[in-house]
Amino acid sequence: MPDKPLIKVDKLEKKFGDNEVLKEIDGTVMAGQVICVIGPSGSGKSTFLRCLNLLEHPTGGKVYFEGKDTETFTESELTTLRERMGMVFQSFNLFPNLTVLENLKLAPMRVKKMSDQEAADKAMSLLKRVGLEEKADVYPASLSGGQQQRVAIARALAMDPEVLLFDEPTSALDPEMVGEVLAVMKGLAESGMTMVVVTHEMGFAREVADEVWFMADGYILEKNKPDDMFNHPQNERAKDFISKIIGQ
Amino acid sequence: MKVQGKKVILAILTFCLSLFVLFSIQPTHQTAYAADQSLQRIKQKGTIVMATSPDYPPYEFEVQKNGKSQIVGMDVDIMKKVAKDLGVKLVIKSMSFDSVLVAVETGKADVAMSGINPTPSRRQSVDFSEIYYNGGQSFLINKTDVAKYKNQSALAHKKIGAQTGTLQYNLAKSKIPGATVKGMDKNTDLVLALKTHKVDALGIETPSAEAYIKNDPDLAMFKSSYHLNKNETGSAMALKKGSGTLVAAINKSIDQIKQQHLANQYLADAGKYMKVNTHNTSMWHYRSYFLKGVEYTLIISAISVIFGVLLGTILALMRFSKSKILHAIAVAYIEFVRGTPLMVQVLFVYFGVGIIINLPALLSGIIAVSLNSGAYVAEIIRGGINSVDKGQTEASASLGLTKGDSMRYVILPQALKNIWPALGNEFVSLIKESSIVSIIGVTDLIYQLNIVRADTYRGVMPVFVAMIIYFIITFILTRVLNYYEGRMKHAR
Repeated sequence: MPDKPLIKVDKLEKKFGDNEVLKEIDGTVMAGQVICVIGPSGSGKSTFLRCLNLLEHPTGGKVYFEGKDTETFTESELTTLRERMGMVFQSFNLFPNLTVLENLKLAPMRVKKMSDQEAADKAMSLLKRVGLEEKADVYPASLSGGQQQRVAIARALAMDPEVLLFDEPTSALDPEMVGEVLAVMKGLAESGMTMVVVTHEMGFAREVADEVWFMADGYILEKNKPDDMFNHPQNERAKDFISKIIGQ
Repeated sequence: MKVQGKKVILAILTFCLSLFVLFSIQPTHQTAYAADQSLQRIKQKGTIVMATSPDYPPYEFEVQKNGKSQIVGMDVDIMKKVAKDLGVKLVIKSMSFDSVLVAVETGKADVAMSGINPTPSRRQSVDFSEIYYNGGQSFLINKTDVAKYKNQSALAHKKIGAQTGTLQYNLAKSKIPGATVKGMDKNTDLVLALKTHKVDALGIETPSAEAYIKNDPDLAMFKSSYHLNKNETGSAMALKKGSGTLVAAINKSIDQIKQQHLANQYLADAGKYMKVNTHNTSMWHYRSYFLKGVEYTLIISAISVIFGVLLGTILALMRFSKSKILHAIAVAYIEFVRGTPLMVQVLFVYFGVGIIINLPALLSGIIAVSLNSGAYVAEIIRGGINSVDKGQTEASASLGLTKGDSMRYVILPQALKNIWPALGNEFVSLIKESSIVSIIGVTDLIYQLNIVRADTYRGVMPVFVAMIIYFIITFILTRVLNYYEGRMKHAR
């Protein structure tokens, strides 16, 4: 099924001052693939994700999108890159000054120059897809965390991205709301969306991912099929991490 | 900030230096050019502009005539005759006394006439006509002290009040042994100080003293026993340096006035107007003055708030700009404006910039207050933008929104909500601080307050009325702002 490399990462490095967060990261995301990135806290997973759409600029190595070196991108090319690479954040980051519908309409209207009606129609169909069409006219503050995150996913989808980046999308949620968000994400994966998901939800990773990457101390220590990763991890650190999580 | 420090300091210095260069070159150039064409220029123009501070009866003050307020008094009558003799129309520009001499120096007016004594230090910056009136010097005292202070020698080692920067002030200081001289800007304030025994006597020109005792039964006066040089103690008109031909023409009129003893007749006429003014001194009777003041205070405040917010937003965005030049300009501007008093800025825009472009007083006031407010609003908005969660910027970026769109639709609306109370404070203080424009003659509430005080000889009541009016305005504004704050909360 996966045929062409959408994102290619080559010897990626990121330093914050003297603190080396990412070291010699290599990896390829094929179109249609779902990659789950797992690993202990502070291992650089989120930073890695944020380097892909250049919210953080790498201090070494290259990130290629559709074969093009993102380092050479102009400001407007960068905007286009981000438009095609949606992102879902741990803390949702909905715009509190706008209604749910306006949150979904803003970028399509401003960036893609859609008409108000077009954008509203699209927004409503996306809200329906995440099961929240009746919340179109409320402000985000009146929604639960799970609902907010589903709106955030719909907002990212409104731009028709080619890949969706998820930065621990369920970590800030109450446990009873995790399921609804994962269900939406699973549906997306099944529809063929390319996804890179940083997560602690091992069940989701095992069920949905095409490949699981294990990160620790700024390195990707193992890339494997989910079954192999969770049943027979090769790397010692990965073994240790997985046994601690699954063992409970 | 630290990296930018040097650049910012450089930008501030450059800014100051360019101002300095601009204003040190321009005036000399103009004076030289205007020399001795002064009379011809007035005749070509067909008007003569007189700067005066109409809070000094009987010299100049305001009266209500057919429902319109008008500046009258001895000085005005004399100037009318001068204008008639020159064959031109008289235009009167009112402003605070501090500003009248600057007005002729900077060409805002052709002649300053406000009971001005031609002191040697003043002669250094302006030309004077002949003395047109010499009323002599007197002292005002409380009636209860009549037995105590019979003459000038009784004032030794006492506290004496006088208008700052006037002849009376200098005389009391140098000629009354051991006296403590207390200076204030306005005679109305000084009279109040006298009546509340903060000073024992008040050095004042005889015609003014006479006006006061006529209108206030608690006051008494006696004439001074200074030995004075007549050329320095009377009142004269001030003109821009190098106005020789115009001064000569004016002196001809003054000679006629002296020969025909017209000054006394003018004084008598002024007395009649003063009676009209003091006939009914209730504040209600003077309501039109206060209303006009409110109107101007509101005009200045409303326009300045709008432009202040616009300018403040632009400056705040410049501070966030990647361009180091824009950043430095914004920082320099904000630091400079916040580091100088609004009063100086008002004078600068009216008189300083006025050398290049002749701005009317109201417009100058609005510009100065807007420019000032912009600097403060910029800092408030900057704080507001910083207070918006970083995740909001990242979310907008991840959707492909440009920085401008992100600012406009996401960051600024949230910042505005956060800074609303601080912005409200700025609006309230702007209304109050805009009162400073009265010094260039904008007829705002404070200006009208001083007129009413001078006209009615009532020191406290007009102040009280103005205080209440300011409170009502700011209170209503605060309510309106709170209402909108509540609505924004609701929206979340």
